[in-house]
Amino acid sequence: MSNVTLYSISYDLSHAVVFAVGSLAYGSWRAAIDSNAVVTTIAVLVFAVILLAASMLNTIVLIWYERKLLGRFMDRRGAMHVGYAGLLQNFADGLKLFRKHTFAPREADDLGFYFGPTAYMVSSMLIFGILPISSGWNSGALPLSLLLALVIFSFAPLFIFVSAWSSNNKYSLMGGMRSAAQMIAYEVPLLLAVVAVVLVAGSFDLSTIVYEQQNYWFWGPLVVALVVFVAAMLAEMERIPFDLPEAEAELVEGWNTEYGGMLFAFFMLADYLRALVGSILVVLLFLGGWTLPTWVPSAATSFPLAGIFWFMVKTYIVFGLFVWVRASLPRVRTDQLLRVGWNRMIPLALLSVFLAALLVSARCLPVFGCVPSLGG
Amino acid sequence: MTEELTATEKPSDNPVLYVARPMATAARQFAKSLLRPSTIVYPYERLEDPKFREQVQVASGKPIGVGAVWDNYRGVHALNIATCISCNLCAFSCPDLCIEMVTVPGGDPKHAKKCPEIDYGKCSYCGFCSDACPEGCLTMTTRYELSTPKRSEMVYSPQKLYEVYRTKLPMNPIRLERPANEDSILLDPPLCIGCNACARDCPTQCITMLEIPKPTAKPGEKLPKRIWKEPVVNDSDCVRCGTCVSVCPKECLFWGSRR
Ligand code: SF4
Ligand code: SF4
Ligand code: SF4
Repeated sequence: MSNVTLYSISYDLSHAVVFAVGSLAYGSWRAAIDSNAVVTTIAVLVFAVILLAASMLNTIVLIWYERKLLGRFMDRRGAMHVGYAGLLQNFADGLKLFRKHTFAPREADDLGFYFGPTAYMVSSMLIFGILPISSGWNSGALPLSLLLALVIFSFAPLFIFVSAWSSNNKYSLMGGMRSAAQMIAYEVPLLLAVVAVVLVAGSFDLSTIVYEQQNYWFWGPLVVALVVFVAAMLAEMERIPFDLPEAEAELVEGWNTEYGGMLFAFFMLADYLRALVGSILVVLLFLGGWTLPTWVPSAATSFPLAGIFWFMVKTYIVFGLFVWVRASLPRVRTDQLLRVGWNRMIPLALLSVFLAALLVSARCLPVFGCVPSLGG
Repeated sequence: MTEELTATEKPSDNPVLYVARPMATAARQFAKSLLRPSTIVYPYERLEDPKFREQVQVASGKPIGVGAVWDNYRGVHALNIATCISCNLCAFSCPDLCIEMVTVPGGDPKHAKKCPEIDYGKCSYCGFCSDACPEGCLTMTTRYELSTPKRSEMVYSPQKLYEVYRTKLPMNPIRLERPANEDSILLDPPLCIGCNACARDCPTQCITMLEIPKPTAKPGEKLPKRIWKEPVVNDSDCVRCGTCVSVCPKECLFWGSRR
């Protein structure tokens, strides 16, 4: 297994830069510049920038990926024209939005109107600082990282509501209200499904949860929890069939009706960032994160950054599933959504917790094997 | 494919089937679209290409663009300037008044050659002009690409229409079935002053001015001041464009049946 991780790359980069700068300085300055603290600080900053760039890039590629997949599901071809197979189309769209003037309605509350999208965007990006993408990913070494990620994740409806309310538009407001109602209906089963995973893994730390899946991935024994989690995640991400807050057939464009230009781009990017985070959470909690089953030849796991590679492959497959759902199912009504949330999902989620408890007390399963921390 | 995607398929009450069935349909569609997409990548691939005309099918056994629709397509006009006789019939028959007759080089000094200039911003592709053209030099082609960033480029000069003619695209000479025009140009002799305007402007040069005997004036009667000639129309050469009728200063030419 190679030891090249993203952090080691950024550390080396920062070391080289600091060394180069230090060699230009003299005396006590040189010692100050060359100190380990400086190197580490810059390494962390470089790491953060790489992370930011990578997450933005991934988001944009994700939009492309969704457009292409959705196109095929609808017997179209998706974006074709700009770049190879339309790969650069979203960059062109982004540039266009970037150049546009941003208007605020006259009656809008400016503070909320601008705060909403910014906070929505920032909170979505914040989660990337927490999620571990491969082993040795020390940016997320928090004992409660899963909890923190979910907390930040569920901030979003609040910001949506703020921006919807301050837009001073009835459609925006309705969208915001729906978003809030949806959150209450889906937060509970989502967290209960997570509880099932946490029970089995015995930790709230995402890295530990992945580590616990070395014998078998959790989706097998915890399939009920997986179904609940994916459905609740769809609602959390406000994607079809649960995109009631946007519902462009009923609410113009839902809560972002009044937004245009870069603010709209913020919403769009943040939406896909959240979709990315959702897919990543599914991969981390149920699909073994960056690990591969032991029967996979070691050549497939030993090249540099193999962990990140396999992680992204899994993430894109999970996102493909979300797109598949989007292409197949119609949008549900509000009452249907709430009924499914309270009447179907919560009992299912409770069942999954119960099954997880059984699994914990059984310690080992005939087909799957044992959970490491439970004495396997 | 159409049989599988009937609209009558009702959503199931079973929650598992409710989700699973549409997903299966979508997956089938996805696979089909990957292997055999229903769309072509238009500016790069075209339906004119026989390869795609056969490949892309609306329903089984019914390729797009083959048969009546394509062969009867009315697109941009093609104009053969050489055979145009400047009869004005195309402009006359256009319901949208989008044809203007503009002078092109090649006419004689007395009788300028005028050919149609078509404003595609107004044209409704009815084909009346092509139908009316007596010489068959204005036809409609299968060209359909007209988008341009400038409105002025929507106006096709005769030269540009001639360029279209030279591309040798499939032409669609529109000939509506209808009884031939039996009417002829008739003259109301007492009104004619023999001015030669009709003979000068007749695009087919089928009017000849024939001398008529100058009557001897009776005493006290004043002979009209005129040239003692009268137009005679060669009916088999006349394309019935009506130019003579409209240029006659005395309105003495008219349409009528010889019978
Ligand atoms: S096709 Fe019809 S509308 Fe167009 S120029 Fe000819 S007569 Fe006019
Ligand atoms: S109808 Fe034909 S011959 Fe007459 S002016 Fe038009 S194009 Fe020329
Ligand atoms: S209608 Fe008159 S101008 Fe036209 S071809 Fe006949 S005689 Fe000539």
